[in-house]
Amino acid sequence: MATTTMTTLDPQSRAARRGMSDIAIRNLFIIPTILFLIVFNIFPLLYSLGYSFTDFRASTNAPANFVGLQNYRELLADPYIWNNFTVTAKYVIVSVAGQVFVGFGVAMLLNRSIPFKGLITTLLLLPMMLSMAVVGLFWKLLYDPSWGVINYLLGLGDFEWLGDPDVALYAVAITDIWMWSPFVMLLSLAGLSAVPKHLYEAAAIDRAGPIYTFFRITLPLVLPILMIAIIFRTMEAFKTFDLAYILSTQPTTEVISIRLYKMAFQEWQTGRSCALAYIVLIMVLGVTNIYVKYLNKVKER
Amino acid sequence: MAAIRTPVQVALNRTAIAAVLVITLIFLAPIYWIASTAFKPRNLATTIPPTVIFEPELSPFAKLFTKRSQLREAPTPEEYAAAPWWERLVFDGGEKVVRSGRGEIQLSAYPNRFLNSLIVAITSTVLAVGMGTFTAYGFSRFKVKGEQDLLFFILSTRMLPPVVVAIPMFLMYRAVGLNDTHWGLILLYTAFNLSFSVWLMKGFIDEIPREYEEAALVDGYTRMEAFFKIVLPEAATGIAATAVFCFITAWNEYAFALIMTNRRAQTAPPFIPSQVGSGLPDWTVIAAGTFLFLLPVAIFTFLLRNHLLRGMSFGAIRK
Amino acid sequence: MLRKSLTALAASAVFALSAGAAAAQELTIFWAEWDPANYLQELVNEYEKETGVKVTVETTPWSDFQTKAFAEFNAKGSAYDLVVGDSQWLGAASEGGHYVDLTDFVKKNNVLEKMAPATVKFYSEYPGNSGKYWSIPAEGDAVGWSYRKDWFEDPKEMEAFKAKYGYDLAPPKTWKELLDIAEFFNRPDQKRYGVAIYTQNQYDGLAMGVENAIFSYGGELGDYSTYKVDGIINSEKNVTALEAYRKLFAYTPPGWTNAFFAENNQAITEGLAAMSMNYFAFFPSLLNESTNPHAKNTGFFPNPAGPDGDQFAALGGQGISIVSYSENQEEAFKFLEWFIRDDVQQKWADLGGYTCSAAVLQSEKFQNATPYNKAFYETMFKVKDFWAVPEYAELLQQLNQRIYPYVVNGEGSAKEALDSLAADWKATFQKYGR
Repeated sequence: MATTTMTTLDPQSRAARRGMSDIAIRNLFIIPTILFLIVFNIFPLLYSLGYSFTDFRASTNAPANFVGLQNYRELLADPYIWNNFTVTAKYVIVSVAGQVFVGFGVAMLLNRSIPFKGLITTLLLLPMMLSMAVVGLFWKLLYDPSWGVINYLLGLGDFEWLGDPDVALYAVAITDIWMWSPFVMLLSLAGLSAVPKHLYEAAAIDRAGPIYTFFRITLPLVLPILMIAIIFRTMEAFKTFDLAYILSTQPTTEVISIRLYKMAFQEWQTGRSCALAYIVLIMVLGVTNIYVKYLNKVKER
Repeated sequence: MAAIRTPVQVALNRTAIAAVLVITLIFLAPIYWIASTAFKPRNLATTIPPTVIFEPELSPFAKLFTKRSQLREAPTPEEYAAAPWWERLVFDGGEKVVRSGRGEIQLSAYPNRFLNSLIVAITSTVLAVGMGTFTAYGFSRFKVKGEQDLLFFILSTRMLPPVVVAIPMFLMYRAVGLNDTHWGLILLYTAFNLSFSVWLMKGFIDEIPREYEEAALVDGYTRMEAFFKIVLPEAATGIAATAVFCFITAWNEYAFALIMTNRRAQTAPPFIPSQVGSGLPDWTVIAAGTFLFLLPVAIFTFLLRNHLLRGMSFGAIRK
Repeated sequence: MLRKSLTALAASAVFALSAGAAAAQELTIFWAEWDPANYLQELVNEYEKETGVKVTVETTPWSDFQTKAFAEFNAKGSAYDLVVGDSQWLGAASEGGHYVDLTDFVKKNNVLEKMAPATVKFYSEYPGNSGKYWSIPAEGDAVGWSYRKDWFEDPKEMEAFKAKYGYDLAPPKTWKELLDIAEFFNRPDQKRYGVAIYTQNQYDGLAMGVENAIFSYGGELGDYSTYKVDGIINSEKNVTALEAYRKLFAYTPPGWTNAFFAENNQAITEGLAAMSMNYFAFFPSLLNESTNPHAKNTGFFPNPAGPDGDQFAALGGQGISIVSYSENQEEAFKFLEWFIRDDVQQKWADLGGYTCSAAVLQSEKFQNATPYNKAFYETMFKVKDFWAVPEYAELLQQLNQRIYPYVVNGEGSAKEALDSLAADWKATFQKYGR
């Protein structure tokens, strides 16, 4: 990725005298967005950071007391919270890996001349156009052992997709994969269709095998955009709430957002939930940072 | 693909097409099921084996749009005959339409919420994509101090668990009078989508050859004119793709809509599942609400489908 | 862009101000989305007819109800004038200053005489026995049971049951009978199951179900005046009760791990279970033939007694309170005066609402209005409730966390689960200085 700036305008030119300077335009284009995001993110974030060191409860009028690191200490010592983290990690890995596998796979299949390709692609995007809550409700119905369609079609009898503690997390992940593979597919498709055809032709002339072609030509060229898809899906998977909350109540599916929601909006332990949110945020920042570093490296190659 | 067409390749190609069709069918099955439930009589919604052939009816929609209550006594034949068709459908389901103190039919919140969703999602998409495009251009074409850090900051705004921001945002909104207003949600969703929009648009604009603008500048265009007349048309496809994603996100957002808005500005997503609340969920009504709510995004995406495909590929072309 | 946003900010601020001033002859009541809220809308339409004041019942799904209401309270929002809130909220809402003190109103209008005593105690008074009232009992509710009359009255079944258990098959009078019948009807090979119970651990579902067992077994959750829990929540009686609940779980339909009111009603309408636990307020849809194909064959019974003859049920239901931040408090008081009128309470019952009015509850007309009204009336004298302290949600969460794995997944023992819960609760009460 080239990062060199454009040749600047000659200050004596007609255009430069007539219009705004490059610096002015740059500032005009960038600063409002940054300011906007600061107001909407940094401000609430600082607010929460402050709360995270207090025993503040939004549901009472009692003043907040400073408790130092107590919230963080107690949270990190709570085995139930650690269970939530483990569940979340497992969920993120299974769900994102599934989405990449399915999404990229379908994109590979679609990357040829197919009748009604535009229509098929649009139809495949339908799942991600629904709201998470509605998807959760309907999949809960689909998974039901007594009146669900899935067991009927697959002849699984009364297999408990969501009731079995060992299966439930995968069932939730399957739903997420159904919903979001199309996103990965679309981005991958974009990457794939941009791979110059002459590279494949050259590979074919060299009698390169399909595996070699895939790993040496296709994958490296698609990787940057695939990485963007993975970054966004990972961030979203970390935040998964509605889907897991509606589908299953097994402790094995209690992702961290559910705990966070209960703590903040049922128990109204505002201070403590802010601390937990910060722990989550730092983890996501860490993971994403690694991804972005990798992405930049991939782009430079 | 390649021009060489060996029999093996042809067979492979056919297999791939067949696989695509099968996968598409699997992916669409739940959607078909939701859509068909939206036209089913209530007692056929959860049958096993599932009911595939049935006489479609509009009763789920009649119920979706009205406030209803359990029917305690059956309507008299005269009442039934005098009722408009949709009220009869509600009667048939063992319910009646609630009337206000002045005798007017009471509509459910759905139509109003649907309208709110349109206002909020469209406006916030325009804002997010617009601001995102400007900012992406700024980052793409000019030297910005700490560019990588700023970009990561922009990305990081999407990592926040909504809970971290919800309570402070709520208090802040209350203070400035933004809660339960369309603008309140619009600004929130814009902020939420900006990171995605900037990142995606930067990818697209990076790929537009600078030579185009340079040529325009030499021709006496100002930088601004070059941006609007040269870069924007080139980026149109990318803009379309970004808009689709932003629209989908804003259209379906649930948590903030629930917390930040009430009667005046609340959007539809928190309303649709509320139909589950009563003693027995009426799946047909939930399906009807979902089906109607899916239409605008589906149509929007379908209209932009060519841009979407081209747009995505455009963004990924590497130098 | 920034200028645009600023204009927007200013514009919406102006809009918010003007809208606040316009709402004078309107009242908004907030409740959860369910049938009684529809009945209430019908009832308040009468108020509009009488006074010209438009009253709107705003609803949100049950799962969002608490969140939405408290988010609004905590930000001192004036969107709702009245709230029909859960009994457990009393502590948090009164101590937080979200509810208007109704003590004077209650005394002046003789609410104590008008409403059934248990309802005032649980829906209005906080702290217990303090003589301070925060709401007017609006929708009485408790957990009862529905059952399949046709299965129970099938001669072949009756014969087989008698042969196996030595007594006649009839709606259970004790928890032992309940367990026997559940076992008897549990036939997975025929896709018929014994019983449907609450298991959802997201809010108070599981707690309500377990309470039904604990209270009838003669147990308590703790001492509500001293906050002593150790030795009470983990008493012998409670251990036995919890074990009974776990046994019941074995007779539930497959995957009954996330069940609350909707699922339990479905167990009856889909012909899955012989008996099903549910709030009385959810029973109307079981009587409606267009929603329940077995409507004619559905019967009802109150929560059975425990081994020592104790018979109690978990309380549901809500009182109606005035929100402190409402700008229409005067009008809201007028509305409450109207609401407690005898004829209005009668009308409320006629529409399907569960009035708490003593006179209406005792009337023949009410008790015969539905097949379950009598069971409801009897139950309302034998109800107990969960903690109503401001930190009740933490107590609920701890209960869910400890009890769910035992009841649903069979992890550990009842004793271990309750001992841990006692320790959790003790620590929580200590934290809040009780």
